[in-house]
Amino acid sequence: MKRRDFLRSGSVLSLPIALGGSNVGVLAQTQLGQLMPENSDRIFVLIQQNGGNDGLNTIIPIDQYGTLTSLRSDILVPENQILTLTEETGMHPAMPGLKDVFDEGDLGIIQNVGYPNQNRSHFRSTDIWDTGSVATEVLNNGWIGRYLDTRFPGFPEGYPNEETPHPIAITLGPTVSETCQGIAANFSLAINDPTALANIPGTEGGELPDLPYGYELDFIRQVVAQTNIYAEILSATAEAGTNLSQLYPDPGQNPLADQLKTVAQLISGGLQTKIYVVNINGFDTHANQVDGGDATTGIHAQLLANLSEAIHAFMDDIRLQGNDQRVVGATRSEFGRQIASNGSLGTDHGDAAPLMVFGSCVQSQILGDNPTIPNDPGPRSGVPAQIDFKDVFGSILMDWFGVAENEVSDLFSHDFQHMALIDPCQTTTADHLDIHDAFFIRAYPNPFFEEITAEFNTEGGELRMSLVNESGQEVLYLGTSFFSPGKQQVSHQISELPAGHYYYRLQGRQINKSISLLHF
Amino acid sequence: MAGFSNLDLTPYEGAWTSKEASHLLRRTMYGPSKEDIDTAVKLGLDGIIDELFDIKPLPTPPINFNYGNDPIVPIGESWVGKPYTRSDTSNQQIGSRLASLRSWTVGVAIKEGISLREKMTLFWHNHFVTAEIRDANFAYNNITIYRENFTGNFRDLTKVTTIDTAMLRYLNGTQNSKQRPNENFARELLELFTIGKGPQVAEGDYTNYTEHDIGEISKILTGWVALGYLSRNQEIAESRFVPNRHDTSTKTLSARFGQVQIPDMADQEYQHLIDIIFQQDEVANFIARKVYRWFVYYEIDDQIEQNIIKPMASILRDADYEMEPMLRALLSSQHFYDAYAVGAIIKNPFDFIVGLIKVLQVDYGSNYQEQYNLWRRFYGFSGLLQQDYFNAPTVAGWKAYYQEPLYYRSWINASTISSRFLFSSLIVNGMRVNRIMLQADLLNLIEGIEDRHDPNALIDNLGEILFPEAITDGQKEYLKSLLIPGLPDYEWTVEYDLYKTNPEDEELKNALNARLQTMLIGMLSLPEYQLS
Repeated sequence: MKRRDFLRSGSVLSLPIALGGSNVGVLAQTQLGQLMPENSDRIFVLIQQNGGNDGLNTIIPIDQYGTLTSLRSDILVPENQILTLTEETGMHPAMPGLKDVFDEGDLGIIQNVGYPNQNRSHFRSTDIWDTGSVATEVLNNGWIGRYLDTRFPGFPEGYPNEETPHPIAITLGPTVSETCQGIAANFSLAINDPTALANIPGTEGGELPDLPYGYELDFIRQVVAQTNIYAEILSATAEAGTNLSQLYPDPGQNPLADQLKTVAQLISGGLQTKIYVVNINGFDTHANQVDGGDATTGIHAQLLANLSEAIHAFMDDIRLQGNDQRVVGATRSEFGRQIASNGSLGTDHGDAAPLMVFGSCVQSQILGDNPTIPNDPGPRSGVPAQIDFKDVFGSILMDWFGVAENEVSDLFSHDFQHMALIDPCQTTTADHLDIHDAFFIRAYPNPFFEEITAEFNTEGGELRMSLVNESGQEVLYLGTSFFSPGKQQVSHQISELPAGHYYYRLQGRQINKSISLLHF
Repeated sequence: MAGFSNLDLTPYEGAWTSKEASHLLRRTMYGPSKEDIDTAVKLGLDGIIDELFDIKPLPTPPINFNYGNDPIVPIGESWVGKPYTRSDTSNQQIGSRLASLRSWTVGVAIKEGISLREKMTLFWHNHFVTAEIRDANFAYNNITIYRENFTGNFRDLTKVTTIDTAMLRYLNGTQNSKQRPNENFARELLELFTIGKGPQVAEGDYTNYTEHDIGEISKILTGWVALGYLSRNQEIAESRFVPNRHDTSTKTLSARFGQVQIPDMADQEYQHLIDIIFQQDEVANFIARKVYRWFVYYEIDDQIEQNIIKPMASILRDADYEMEPMLRALLSSQHFYDAYAVGAIIKNPFDFIVGLIKVLQVDYGSNYQEQYNLWRRFYGFSGLLQQDYFNAPTVAGWKAYYQEPLYYRSWINASTISSRFLFSSLIVNGMRVNRIMLQADLLNLIEGIEDRHDPNALIDNLGEILFPEAITDGQKEYLKSLLIPGLPDYEWTVEYDLYKTNPEDEELKNALNARLQTMLIGMLSLPEYQLS
C-alpha cells in the first residue's frame, strides 16, 4: 500500500476514530477483547546483534569439535575452556554471565535458526529478519509493526490516548527499528536518553498537498507532535525508575548494557511500553575476530562478553525490581558465518546460527540438535537452517502476547510451526529491594551547555565528580568534595568540551554511579 | 500520480524565478544565501548549472591546529603526507590529525560558494563508504579522490577506489590473499558499488550476480595490500601489488557475466574485472537510482524507473560513464522543477548544520585555531544527529538513501528532532566555543532584504530563503506574533527605523536583536525548515 493513502492532516492528539465498518477494525477489536487485561503489562525486548554473528563460536557443538578443528583451528576456542551446558553443547568462555542465566533456568537456546534460501547480503538479510518475510518476498513493514497494527489499529492517528498513554515501542539508539515499522507509521520512538527530549514550539500548519512535500511534512509534523507528548512522560518515568542490579559495568564500557539499563530503568519507572529494541553492533568479523595466538580473546570474544554481561545484569535488575515475570527477551542476527575460517583470523558471511530467548518465563532448554559439521563441507559453506526464525518469533507472539495461531500464520505468510518457548514463570527467590532505599541521582539541564547541576542523596563522605565519555574514559575531572548525609546539590562550570554524549560520574568509598547526559 | 506532469528528462523551460533557483541551489550546495539565489536568478538555468559544475581549485589541505608537541608538523602547517612519530605514545597525534580532518571538512563545506562539489563529494563518500579509519592520511587521500573527481568517470572512480588504501583496509582487501581469500570487498563491490543486488531467484543467485562470482572475484582481487597505516617511517599510505599473494589461476564468472574467463593478469586484473562488470547495463541503472535519491526523491516506482532512471542511465552509458552529462540533464530537467520534486527531501544532518551556519551568516572569525575548534563543534553536532562524516554506520552508507520504507525519514525521530531544535536555538541565541562567543548577527542578516521595515515582507523574504514552499498565512501570523507580540505592524517599522537612524543605540539594537532571535527560532522550529 502506498504511503499517501494514509495521508493525514489531523492532529495526533485527536481521539481514535470510531471503529466499525472496516474489517481491520472489527478484527482488531475482537482480538483486543480476547487479550487485553491479563497480558497487557507484558514486555518483549529484542536484542539485534548486527553484522552476522559467528554462531559456531557462540554456542559451540562440542560433539563436532574434531571437525571444527580442521576447518577453523585458528579461531576455535580450546576445548577445555568451553563453558559446558550439556555434554554435547557449550558456550564461549567469554559468557559466564549467560551461563549463570542458563543455570538459573532463564535461558532458552534455539539451534540453527535461519530461513530457507539464505541471502548473504547484510542488508537484504536484515530486511528479511526485520519484516519476517520469506527470502523471495519484499515487504515494507516489520513483523512487530504488523502485529502492533492489529493491536493498536489506526496508529498513529489518535495516539496516545487514555488506554495507551505511553509509547508503544521504544528503540534505544539512533534510529527507529525497521522491525517496528507498521503500515502507516513506525511504532517505535527512538531515544538515546529519555530525559533529553525537547518541547518544540510551533503552530498548526496548513493542508498537506498530495505530493512528496506533503508526505514528508506530514511525517515530520507527526514526529514533532509525538515528541512533545512523550517528552514529559519519558523524563518522568526515567526519574521515577531506578536500577537495582550491581552487575552493570560502568557506563561507556558496554553499550548494550547501557541500553538495557535504560530499559530496566524505564520499566521500573512504570512506562507501559510493550516492545524495546536494542542493538549491539560489530559482528561482521571478516578479520581478527580473535587475537592471533589466543582464540579466547579478540573482537568476537569481547562482543560475546558484552552480550553476556548485559543480559545477565538486566535479568538481575528486573528480578530485583520484581518485574521479571513481565519480560521476555530474544536475540537475533541476520546470518551466521561460514564454517571454515577465512585465513584473516575471521569468517565470511554464512547461513544459520543459534538464537537465544531469556526471561523468568522462558523454557530453559537447548532446542534443536547441534549442527552436523561434515569433514569436507565444501568451500564457503555455512550452517544449514533447521528452524525458521519466523516460528521462533511467532511462538513468542502466541504464548507471550496471546495472539491466535491463525493470526500468527497471517502475520508471517508462512506455514507457521509453533514451538514451546514460554513456560510457567519461575517464582523468584530474591527479595525485591525497596526502590525508595536505592541511590538517587539526577543531573540537569539535559542537554547541558556551560553549566551542569547534579542532585543526589548520600550517606555522607567524600565524593569525586567527573565527566566520562561514551568510551568510558574520564574527560573532565570536576573536583572532590565532602558531603554531609542527605540530599545534596552541586553545580559545575564546563568549558572546552566537545559536543557529544557524556556520563556524569560520582565516585566514593561506597558508590560509583553515573548518569547519562547530552552536551551541546 | 497527482500533481506530477513532467515525467521525463525534457529540459526545463518554465519561469526562472527565485523559487526555482533556490530549489536548485538547496539541492546542490549547502545553505544558499539570498545573494546566491539572486545570482542564480540572474545567470539563468544554464548559467547557474555551468557555475555549479565549474571546477575550482581544491581547498588548501587541513593543518595541525591544536597539537603543540608534534615534532614533525608545527601548529599552522599541514600534516598531509607526513608520517606519525614514535613519541606519540598517548595517540594524541592520531587524535589531533583526525580532529583536524573532520573540522576542516566542515570548514570546506561552510566556505564553499556556488558549487556542486561538496555535495557530490559526500555522495561518493556515501557510495564508496570507508569508515573506522584512524590514519588521517588514508582518510584524506580517500576523500580527495571524490572531491577531485566529483563529476568524473564512474568506472575510473571504481578502479581507483578498489585499490585505495582506506578501502583496502576497511573491507579487508589488504588481508585478501591467494593463501587466505577474504570475500568482504568482492561482495560489496557487486552489491553496493557497481551492479547492485537483484532479487534472489535461486539459491545463491541474486539475478545480477551469484555467490560463485563473489568467490571468484575475491581471487581476482588478491595481492593488493595497503601499506603505511599509522606509519612512523617515511613511507606513508601506499597501495601495492604483491605478486606472491595473488591467485594466478584462471577465474570463471557465472552465466550472469557470460561465464567469462579471466586469466592471470597480475596487477592489471582488477581493472579488467571492473571493465567486465561495467559492460552490464544494470551498472548505470544502479548508480542512476542512487543519484536520483540523492538529488530528487527516494521513491522510484515503475514510471520513474522507465521515464527517468532508464534515460539517465542511457546518458551515462553514452558518455562512457562520465557523470557530468547525466547530472546536468537531471538538474536541468522539467521533472526536477516539478512540484513533485520541490521540498521533498529531508535535509541530512550535515546539510542541516552547515546550511544553518551559512544561512544565518554566523561569523567564524579569522583565527584558524578558533575556526577549527568551532568547526569541530559542528562536526560533533552532525554526529549527534546521526551523521558522522568519515564514519557511515555501515558499508551501505546512511540508511536515508537506501532503507525502505523510511528513507530520508530515518533522520527524524524524537531524539534527533529534539536535538535539531535545540541546536538551531543555540546558534540563534549564541553559544560559547572555547573563548569565542558565537552568534548570528541577525540585524546584519536582514540587511539584504529590501522591505525589512515591513514585518510582513520581512517574514516573506526570510521564508523564501528558509523554506522550499510558502508557509501559510496562519504560520506567518504566528511568526509575527513572536516578532511583535500583540503590537500593530507599524511598531516594528518605527522601532527599526529608529535603530537605523541611531545605530549606536545599544539598548535599542539589543532589543531588536532579541525580537529577531525569537522569531528566527520560531521559523527554524517549523517542520518545513527540515525540508529541502
